[in-house]
Amino acid sequence: MGEFGIITQVLVNGILFGTMYGIAAIGLSLIFGTMRIIFFAQGVIIIFFAYICYWLFTLLGIDPYLSLILIIPISLLLGMGFYYGLFKEAAALEQREVSLLIAIGLLWLVENAMMVVWTPNPRTIVTAYTSWVLELGGLIISFTRLIALLIALLSAVGVFVFLKRTRIGTAVRAASEDMESTTLMGINPNWVNAVTFALGIGLAGTAGVAFATVYSFDPMYGFTFVIMSVIALAFGGFGNVFGALLGGIILGVLQSGASFFVSAGWADAICFGTFLLVLMFRPQGLFGKKV
Amino acid sequence: MKEERLAKYPFNLLKSLIPTKITRNPIYIIIAVLIIVAFATVPFFIDVDTSYFAYYLFLCFLYIIIAQGWNVVAGYAGQISLCQNTFFGLGAYTTGLIWLYDVTKTGYYFDPVVMVLSGLVPVILAIIIGIPLLSRLRGDYFAIGTLGVQFTVTVLILRGGAFTRGADGLHLPSVVFESMTPYYWTGLLLALFAVAVVYFITRSRIGLALRAIREDETAAASRGVHVLQYKVFAFAVGAFLAGIAGSLFAYYLFHINPDSVMHLNWLFFPILMCVLGGNGTITGPIIGAFFLAALSSFGSVYFPQTHPIFSGLLVILVMRFMPTGIIGLKDRILSRR
Repeated sequence: MGEFGIITQVLVNGILFGTMYGIAAIGLSLIFGTMRIIFFAQGVIIIFFAYICYWLFTLLGIDPYLSLILIIPISLLLGMGFYYGLFKEAAALEQREVSLLIAIGLLWLVENAMMVVWTPNPRTIVTAYTSWVLELGGLIISFTRLIALLIALLSAVGVFVFLKRTRIGTAVRAASEDMESTTLMGINPNWVNAVTFALGIGLAGTAGVAFATVYSFDPMYGFTFVIMSVIALAFGGFGNVFGALLGGIILGVLQSGASFFVSAGWADAICFGTFLLVLMFRPQGLFGKKV
Repeated sequence: MKEERLAKYPFNLLKSLIPTKITRNPIYIIIAVLIIVAFATVPFFIDVDTSYFAYYLFLCFLYIIIAQGWNVVAGYAGQISLCQNTFFGLGAYTTGLIWLYDVTKTGYYFDPVVMVLSGLVPVILAIIIGIPLLSRLRGDYFAIGTLGVQFTVTVLILRGGAFTRGADGLHLPSVVFESMTPYYWTGLLLALFAVAVVYFITRSRIGLALRAIREDETAAASRGVHVLQYKVFAFAVGAFLAGIAGSLFAYYLFHINPDSVMHLNWLFFPILMCVLGGNGTITGPIIGAFFLAALSSFGSVYFPQTHPIFSGLLVILVMRFMPTGIIGLKDRILSRR
């Protein structure tokens, strides 16, 4: 494999990993749209569902991809539960730091609970098809990564269609533009918020399964994950489904490129630096229109 | 015109530090004096070196200093800063680096010059990053931006090579350690200083301006409040207090590495103390610090593994059921009648 082949491989790995950030960023973007908070617990929820997937696989022998049938409804319900149980009062208060701190508390709680239940040791799911590899013109892509990419793209399209084609999706979009006017139009703000939370956590569940099948994970990774998703969100522009996905892919490519060409230790600094620059000079995101 | 205003700025700042209204209620002054005297006499009654209680109080003082700093930025000015731990760590690192590289040629151990410098280095960082961040980013974007700053600084220190000595960090000569007593006194003094700083800021024109910015930035600007100057000022005060606390902690730790002094606990705990006690009040963070430090000390002794779970649960419960904190609880009970 020549120089060109290596670079392409780095690029492809970046894109595949970046879709994980992207799918988490879509969830963050939805919740940010209506609640106006960064849901900091998103990353640990993803890892939590990765562990659920791991348990379903090791204890009950359920295939990870099959477990999606179970995990998606659970995560949707959990999202709705989060809203009605934790955020409803805070959303009505219009004090966003309260919601923000609840999210941080949730991050703390879930992360440490996972440390106790599953120990800080990294876990991986090894199935019969984990080692399957596809070779496309010199590129090596594992089967699970390709499926993860497919899952990410499908869920992005799913969310997009939901937002564009359904009545409640329209309500969610309206609420992200202007919550007050939307409420005046007779739309229940609690229902809209609950739906976005359900979607966001639902995406976290899907991302958790996709992530668990490809990469190894530990409880501490959730925080890194959410930070990276926030960066992806800033790249793509807040409140834009495909922007968030694309932002994730750009971040993935940046990260894998930086760790290959510079060094793994500096990759994070490069990502954060780029993130600060984007936040300063293009707060609307790389593809957003100037307001 | 802008230069003219900037030239007058230091003078205006000093003038505005004069409190407009100092509480005249003698009861509060008596209570405050009694509490200070009580803390000051603790070393005469218990042995500071062996008692866990004295260590607990030392920890409380540290947290009060950082929490009061965050209180100014977030509680009064309404700018949620998520890089207080960076300022704390930077203060600790400044102390360590000055000591190791023999910069100021003074005594180093509990040296006021070093401690003030450790406060000023974070202030410089706060001003450098504060001006672009605060002028361009509002609300959540600012919080995210400070988070980005935090991670960048941590990585820079980790990758600092021979200068910062990477993940292993700095080893200070711990032979100078004699007893815990100076730590207790310095902690108490600095905590009093932090409370006094916040008290004077909030009772002056600056405090009024900060609260105006928190309530409605546009309205404050239209009344002639220079929003950016005040925000940067609040951010710098928070950085200074966190840096000084970091310096004190560096003297206690003697081994400074990113994992210990830049840990996220130095960010979350002070925030939690502020909101638990009552954000945007002076006594709130103090009550929060004593309460939470007690809970976490108790937890780490009796439930070493599971106690962070309860801290997380506590944040959620407090924010869910009493978002205005312990101080706000009093108002809520009174208003219910």
